[in-house]
Amino acid sequence: MSSTTTVQRPRTPVGEQLAGGRSGTIDDANAVLRVAIIGNPNTGKTTLFNALTGLRQRVGNFAGVTVERVEGHFRTPDGRRVAVLDLPGSYSLSAGSPDEKIALDVLLGHDVDRWSPQVVLVVVDAAHLDRNLFLTSQVMELGIPVVVALNQFDVAQEDGLVIDVPELIHELGVSVVPTVAKRGEGIETVKRALEIAAGLPAPARRFTLPGVAEGILAPLVGRLVGSGMLPSAARMEALRLLAATRAEPHVLGQTELLREVGEAVTALQGAGFAPHRLESEVRYAWISGVTERTVTSTSVTGSDRSHRIDTVILHRVWGPLIFLALMALVFQSVFTWAQPFIEAIEWGVARGGELVAGWMPAGDLRGLVVDGVFAGVGSVLVFLPQIAILFAFIGLLEQSGYMARAAFLMDRVMRKVGLHGKSFIPMLSGYACAVPGIMATRTIEDPKDRLATIMVVPLMSCSARLPVYTLLIGSFVPPVVYFAGVGLQGLTMLGMYLLGTLAALGAAAIFKRTLLKGPVRPMILELPGYRWPSLHSLAVSVAQRCRLFLRRAGTVILSLSIVLWAMATYPRTAVDATLPEEAQQEQQLANSLLGRVGHAIEPAVRPLGYDWKIGVSIAASFAAREVFVSTMGTIYGVGDRGDEAVALGQRLRAERNPTTGAPTYTTLVAVGLMVFYVFALMCISTVAVTVREAGGGRVGWQWAGLQFGYMLALAYGAAWIVYRGGLALGLGG
Amino acid sequence: MRIILNKPIVANTRQLPAFAEADPSAGERPCALAQCLPGSRATVVDIACSADEGCRLRALGLYEGSRVCVIDSRHCMVLDVRGTRLALGQALTSGITVQPDRLRG
Ligand SMILES: Nc1nc2c(ncn2[C@@H]2O[C@H](COP(=O)(O)OP(=O)(O)O)[C@@H](O)[C@H]2O)c(=O)[nH]1
Repeated sequence: MSSTTTVQRPRTPVGEQLAGGRSGTIDDANAVLRVAIIGNPNTGKTTLFNALTGLRQRVGNFAGVTVERVEGHFRTPDGRRVAVLDLPGSYSLSAGSPDEKIALDVLLGHDVDRWSPQVVLVVVDAAHLDRNLFLTSQVMELGIPVVVALNQFDVAQEDGLVIDVPELIHELGVSVVPTVAKRGEGIETVKRALEIAAGLPAPARRFTLPGVAEGILAPLVGRLVGSGMLPSAARMEALRLLAATRAEPHVLGQTELLREVGEAVTALQGAGFAPHRLESEVRYAWISGVTERTVTSTSVTGSDRSHRIDTVILHRVWGPLIFLALMALVFQSVFTWAQPFIEAIEWGVARGGELVAGWMPAGDLRGLVVDGVFAGVGSVLVFLPQIAILFAFIGLLEQSGYMARAAFLMDRVMRKVGLHGKSFIPMLSGYACAVPGIMATRTIEDPKDRLATIMVVPLMSCSARLPVYTLLIGSFVPPVVYFAGVGLQGLTMLGMYLLGTLAALGAAAIFKRTLLKGPVRPMILELPGYRWPSLHSLAVSVAQRCRLFLRRAGTVILSLSIVLWAMATYPRTAVDATLPEEAQQEQQLANSLLGRVGHAIEPAVRPLGYDWKIGVSIAASFAAREVFVSTMGTIYGVGDRGDEAVALGQRLRAERNPTTGAPTYTTLVAVGLMVFYVFALMCISTVAVTVREAGGGRVGWQWAGLQFGYMLALAYGAAWIVYRGGLALGLGG
Repeated sequence: MRIILNKPIVANTRQLPAFAEADPSAGERPCALAQCLPGSRATVVDIACSADEGCRLRALGLYEGSRVCVIDSRHCMVLDVRGTRLALGQALTSGITVQPDRLRG
């Protein structure tokens, strides 16, 4: 179909014809049009994607890797359905990072999902046209029709850049649409351009290589074409392979191809070229010609504003202070702002449960619905406020351009343990809740750094540990005040937080030196210009995160809550009806599957100074730590709310060993128990999220299993050391 | 649609020995980017780092022949490359050879 249009280009030794093999035709006008969207990071790609599709998005992972795959839908003005795949932000198609490799695979049709785009939308930052044209020029050689969105057109204008769009269209040979994604300007034009482009021929290379080089590359290009690649894509790939050293999966095993690349490199060197930089030299030479003819600068100040902001934000003294203040704000707000919402959700779920309980006859079904389903739904929903607030902040920091600065400022510290500056935010979020913290690791590009961060985030003491700390500290640590409100209780609490943090840093250092060992990547970070965030895009991404959590983690949490409910309920035992209701509950629990588990693990927890009741509580809290307190409440026949927590503390202090008469709970046992909870990963939601974020499927479960296992071992070991060490030091009483 | 505006560009792709290229009248000798002081401007002569990082740098606009301006230098460097600000680790900046501009005034 493309033969109707001739693009006149200098003849090349390969004698390539224009490739348009994958462009759509009018015949499939009613079929879904597949569009891939690609662009440098920070060009406004996400904003444009959100403006095109709104909430009609589906988030997943590219098969087998941790890179996120977002696909959305919209209709063109003519009613044609368009599926848009948001490819990871890439600076080039050189496949240097996993993100870029995925982008290249999809565009070359190597992607496992076989989702080959019919049109590629390249989002370009108009204010930095020259750098952005590098990726554009690569994409233009793939043999797929291209539309260029000249985004941030307003910023370019503010910077005093005048871009001759018709001239740019001539230079590139593709449609170029100026857009201001943040304000939704140009979006309709983009939609129309995409539909039209589907019927147009694909663009092709706009520059020529020196004849000698072209000749040397010809056999390599021929081989690539022979392996099924479009001629123009083959020419791009040939150039690219000269610079790539690592054998890539689709190249690997093709010894002939590798040999061909090696020969080309040697021949080029012999002819006086530097093969690894040939591509950048020819592309940039072409780009500087294009920008010379299309961009005029009317001011010399350029992006001065960002520069001025940076003198403060990256200041040696103010920079870290501002950073600390911002992080304190984020932490505090996730911690406290979420509280009223969490309480409202808890209240709502409890009321709902009561309402339903009122309608249903007493019995197991009611138990299942109220204690299983409602409690389960509640334990899922309570995470939402924290997730929403954290991701709103992350979105703000990212969109404004601050995130890159934060990574810059933290890089030095995090590098000491082998992590990246970007690991800091997820770890900090872990103080509030590991679930959003782990989800926030998506900003880390390096897969090993990401996994290492995921593995240690749950060691940061999250807010769910707080009830456990509060109960035990309040009951067993004497309220001694040293000075000005600083007392032993507060210091103990701080100690627990510090212990977790140090353990997280230490564990990260170990992971990075063993299982997740990799080359220490030197920092290469773009510090994008400061921008006002787009509220629409922010809202879309927060909603997307919440939905993702509900769909993926939510289902797992809900089903496990039901399993736990069943384990605490069955088998039914005949309870002594004369006892008070709570004592009946205790009897039932003791004989239930969960109670038996408690008895079974008693030998294991005895060296830590615990009895079977603590064993049950620990077993029950495998799903969620908070459950520890309520289970203890059930076991000791008191509720766990309000004043009753105080009552529980009194009961715990009064508890005696039936044979020796010594107190079951000493301060030492309590501290040991707290230390256990500092380290143990008692949270089904975290496990569910780790499975997903570590790659899903078997790989995901393996990482989650490892995470659970090493944290449990750490918890047990630390609690043992505390208890045994304390006894040895004579602190038993 | 006929596109004939495509002007073939033959780039200067011959690799010249980096050090011979320096204009003796410039008065400054090529040096590692890491040694440049904040405020100085320079032209990249050679990028010696792993192919991966080389690719990334070139895609970011830092290639042999591009002009850079050093904005800040501490544990890493902040550069201005044609209006894009880049932060580069020490491991990289010590592997990049530049030809500093002659200091004016
Ligand atoms: N002024 C202006 N800002 C924009 C435009 N498009 C996006 N932005 C902002 O640029 C920042 C980065 O956008 P984002 O979509 O996150 O970039 P991405 O990294 O390419 O996905 C955000 O703060 C956006 O609000 C635009 O056309 N004009």
